[in-house]
Formats: sequence, structure tokens, C-alpha cells
Amino acid sequence: MNNEQISTIENVTEEYRDKWLKLSPVAIIYFAIQFIKNTASNFVYLIPALVVGYQKLADNIVSILIGVAGILVFIAVSALVKFYFYQYRITGQRAQIHSGVFQKKHIDLPFERIQNIRFEQPIYYRFTDHVCMLLDTAGSSKAEAKIIALPKSVAETLKQEILLFKDNASDTKNQRETGQQQDQETVLNTRSVRDLVIHGLASNRIWIVLGALAPFFNAISEQVIEGIESFGVDVEALMSSTQYAMWQYILVIASATFIIVALLALISVIGSVITFYDFRLTRSGDRYIRRNGLFTRHEVAMRLRRLQMIVYQQNWLDRLLQRVNLKFEQLNSSVERHSASTAGGKIMVPSVTLSEAEELARDAWPEHQMGSIKFHPISKRLMVRNALVSFWLFVGSAIVISYFGHYQLSAALIALFLTSLPFIALRWKRWGYASDDQFIYIRKGLIGVSYRCFPIHKVQQTSFYQSWFMRRFKLCSVGFVLACGGQSVPFIKEATGDALIDNTLYRVEALRKSWM
Amino acid sequence: MSTHSFSNETIESNDLPKAREQHFLPLSPAYVKVNLLCRLLLWFIVLVALAVVHWQPWFQLPSPMQTAIPGLLIAIASLGLLLSVYGIIGDKVKGYALREHDLSYKSGVIFKSIISQPILRIQHVELKHGPIDRHFGLASLEVFSAGGAMHTFAIPGLPEEKARELRQYILEHGDIAANE
Repeated sequence: MNNEQISTIENVTEEYRDKWLKLSPVAIIYFAIQFIKNTASNFVYLIPALVVGYQKLADNIVSILIGVAGILVFIAVSALVKFYFYQYRITGQRAQIHSGVFQKKHIDLPFERIQNIRFEQPIYYRFTDHVCMLLDTAGSSKAEAKIIALPKSVAETLKQEILLFKDNASDTKNQRETGQQQDQETVLNTRSVRDLVIHGLASNRIWIVLGALAPFFNAISEQVIEGIESFGVDVEALMSSTQYAMWQYILVIASATFIIVALLALISVIGSVITFYDFRLTRSGDRYIRRNGLFTRHEVAMRLRRLQMIVYQQNWLDRLLQRVNLKFEQLNSSVERHSASTAGGKIMVPSVTLSEAEELARDAWPEHQMGSIKFHPISKRLMVRNALVSFWLFVGSAIVISYFGHYQLSAALIALFLTSLPFIALRWKRWGYASDDQFIYIRKGLIGVSYRCFPIHKVQQTSFYQSWFMRRFKLCSVGFVLACGGQSVPFIKEATGDALIDNTLYRVEALRKSWM
Repeated sequence: MSTHSFSNETIESNDLPKAREQHFLPLSPAYVKVNLLCRLLLWFIVLVALAVVHWQPWFQLPSPMQTAIPGLLIAIASLGLLLSVYGIIGDKVKGYALREHDLSYKSGVIFKSIISQPILRIQHVELKHGPIDRHFGLASLEVFSAGGAMHTFAIPGLPEEKARELRQYILEHGDIAANE
């Protein structure tokens, strides 16, 4: 059955096999835009200078036009040359890519080393229905291969072929299951624009947009002040005059703050919609597929057995709105952490309701009890310890400072100590842990809260930690390292910690189940 | 993922092997000595540098600094001595243990920690020995799991022979093959 499948796939992709191929011409646009993006990020800092020197530049408009035309030609030529030198070949068991004009780059990737296959569809690929195919390896991100333009149908079949090959190479039982279920994709979750607006309001998607704007900040703020002044408002006089009452100032500042916050929220909403527009989470066989994006469409697939941990994340606004950000975490490569949640192999479902989150999590791990399990609190000594640390840090330095006569500063420090106390208490209250036959659950947070759940048999390493202070009260902290990072539970009873670790080691070593 | 067959097993947690009650073996005695020498050398260099600054004839330091240096020298010397002694105790406390299915490493005097690494989850093993280690016939064993570089399991200061043996033991272990 599988061999049949492979042979039909081979028929579809026959003209794409065993010979060196050029990309579709639409890739030229990709190269050109990539080039512009790369150079623009280097020359962005020149823009304020251009704005300042605008008058001078306006005088010799002709030479500027020639310059711009020259740059455009250069971009076009470089894109063409890059296109010309880019070749790829798919043979029976490996993907090979030759690229680069001066600096040649050869990638030779055996199928079995491919960990993850992702698709990206920039907006200009949509008309011809092409996609970028990204082949991730377990190693560094530099070893990742990118086939820049493939017709979507070919990309899909190639993907299936690679996955089937991998299945054949690994256990045979698994492969039959996936083989049968390969074609039917069931939709698990979609997000409407309303959900995305909620997500934008609740989480700080703003940083995505602001990050892109950062180089312009100076220019923007100057522009804003100039703009205000051009309306005949003298900012400095306004600030120093005495003709307005205090409440008027406060009103002005309050309304200005309100406008700024509203503006920031709006930007954040826009960022959220751009990133997650038309979000669909589907499942086919043991494979989860996430598709999202307004301009550039992302497609990420994850195998269920790769899933390491499920996280429900709620910040304070999410708690008010009764929403949860659900994360499926798989292998962690440090590079992925820096980029927004669209890149990388992590699957995040933004702003679902609690019941939807439960449903999704149950679909992945039917036996989990994240919603119903009772979390045990950790020892109150954590509060004592943190309060002591805070005391010595703030009050201690306040005493030293007041010795030198800076009484106001030391009063401020003592105020800081007092404000830190409720947070320390809240932090303790959020901590919680629980475990059942198969899973360990951790709850933590400060104002927001996150619930984590991971299968015990996927633990990579355990740690037991005890300071002198904790030893006196028979307490300990335990840590569990997973392939998606480390998790810890502080200040639990020594006996509980021992039992957790011994049980974890037993389950890992006796069950001998694979972690991926 | 069919996990049903395992949920029946009831193992009393008292019967499980206890990770904390293993017999930990100390590191090589040479490691303690080498570490002590390195620490003392480091502090000595700091002291000498300060002393040179104080007694050199080429330029004049601001007077508060100049007068503070002798006191500072004594403070640094005693701090260095104290930390070195603490280091000896710390190094003597360090130890490792090997069970059928996992490795453990214990360290810390005031802040104690025990890290356990199931052999089943080991991705690869490295032996490391720097120039100083090589001179004293020491090596450290580094074990990598999928947890990432942040969570590398390492046992420092093993006699080279022992480190090789351990590596061989891990590589030939049945659990490693099951990992594939």
C-alpha cells in the first residue's frame, strides 16, 4: 500500500526528480524583495538625514531620479543573477541546493535528517500559487534549506514523499497509520478576526510593529513636535505658564495618556491581525498543521509525538476576558525564541476560550487533566525567603543611604520594599504543582498565570536542589529538563520532591518510551 | 500514543530506587589540588597587579586611592584565602554516581544540588581536557541530552582512565540503542 503511494507520488513529481532544476521565475521577485529588505535595514538610519536634507535634494531632482533608477536596475540585475545561480535537485533520498553568486553555498540534506517541513507564502506568490519550502534540521538554523519557489501542488507531494520516506525508515507500524490518514485533514480550530482583536488587546503584539519602527523613532518624535508647533501651539510656553489650574494640566495629561494607550492598543491589534489572520489549526493523522498570516502565509506542521509540553498562558487581561493562549511546545532551538511566534516550530493558538483550550489539549493528550486537577500549593517559606531578600536589598541599602543623609531616597527605597511585598505574596499564591500517572502539571505566574503540563516519560534530566535554609525546614526545589527547556518547582516538601524525582526517573527508565 | 497498558502498574513510591540515597564517588584528589592551585594563582595575580600599581614609579595615583590600596590588599588576600578554603570544601563535596540506568552528579556546600541524567536520553558524550587537565591526567565528561546546551550534564575532574571507562560504559549501554 505504501509502495503504491510512493510510486503515485513519484509520478506526480517525476519531472522534479534526479536533475538539477531552476526555480520558477516568480522567485526573481523573491530575490529582489529579499535584497531590498536586507539593504533597507542597513540604510534605514540614513532616512532622518534625508528628511533634514530634503530641501537640498529637491534642487537636483534629476540626478536623484537617475540614482534611483540605477539602484532599481542594480536590484533587478542582482536578483536575476541570484536566480540564475540557484539550482536544486531532489533525488531519491536527499535534497540538494546550490546557490550564491560569489560565495557559493552547497547544501546537501538527506531526507532522514529533515526534522520539520514548513511552507511560507509571501503575498506576491499567491497569484501564481507558489510557496517557499523550508526544510529544518535538528542542528543549527544555518543548516536549514530553503527551496525558494515551488508550485504548491509539487511542494505538497514532495512533503508527503519526504515524510513517507522518514516513516519507512523509522518504525513500520506508525507509518501505516499515517499513510492511511494522510489525506484527510480535520479542522480543529479557526480564529475569527474578533478573536484576533481580543488577542491583540490582551497581549503585547505591539512589539512586533514597534520593532519594525524602531529606527524611525527619532524622526517621528521630531515630526510630532514640529507638527504640534505648526498648529500654533507653543509647547514650552504651555508647560511654563501659570494661567492654567492644576486640574487642567492633569486632564490634559490624562487624556493624552489615554490617546497614547488607545493608539498602542490599536497598533497591537493590527499586529495581531497581520500575524494570525485566517488562523487554522488542522490535524491529519498524527500531524498538526498551523496556517496563518495576512500577507505572508505560514504553514507549520508538527507531529504529535514531537509535542513536549502544553502551556495555557493568561496575562491579566486574558483573565478578565476569560481567554487563554494555548501553546504546543516541541523541540526548542534557541534561535526560534527571538522571533515572533509565527516562525519556528512552536504552535500557538491565540486567545481561545478555556473550553476550547481543554478540547484542543484533550485532542493531543486524551488523558491529561489540566482543567480538573487540583494543584498543591508550595511552601510559604518561599514568601519568607523572598521577603528577606527584598528586605536586605531595599531596607539594607536604605539604612546605608540614610547614614549619608539622603533621607528621601531611603524613604523611596523603603516604599519599594513595601510595594514588593504584595507581589511576593502573589507570586507564591500562583505557584502550584500536581502530578498524576502520566503527567506533571505546574502553575506559575505573577499577575498573569500559566499552566504547564508535560508527560513524565519525556523528561530528559532531573535536578534536586536544596539550600542550607531549605534543608532546615525539610524543603527542596526540583527541576525537570525537557526538550523544550527546563521547568522547575521551588520550595516543596523534601519527601514530595524525592518522590517526584524517583518516580520520574523510574518512568523514563522503565517505560523506555521515546520522547519524540 | 497508547499508554493504557502502563496505567495499571501501581508502584509504591517507597519501593522505587532513591536518587538521593546513592553512593556518590568523590572526584579525583588531583582535581581538588589543581583547582586550589588555579584559584590561589588567580588571587595572587590580582594582588601582584595591585601592588605593582601601588609601588610603581611612573605615575602618581589620586591620594585617596593610594592610601586605600594597602588596606585593599589585605582585604583581597583574606577574601581570596577564604574563598579558596570554601573551594576546597566545595570540591571535596562534589561527587558522581552511576546506576544501571542513570548518572548523577552532586555538588554544593550551602546550595546543594543533585542532577540525574537517564542514560536512555543521552544524545552524545564528550571527553574534555584542557592543557592543565592534561598535565595532571584529568578529564571531564560531558553528556548532552535533547535538553539543550544550557542543561549539559558534566562531571569534572575525573581521572582520565575513569572518564574513558565511563564514556565506554555509556556508549555500550543498551539504553542508548533503544534511544535510536
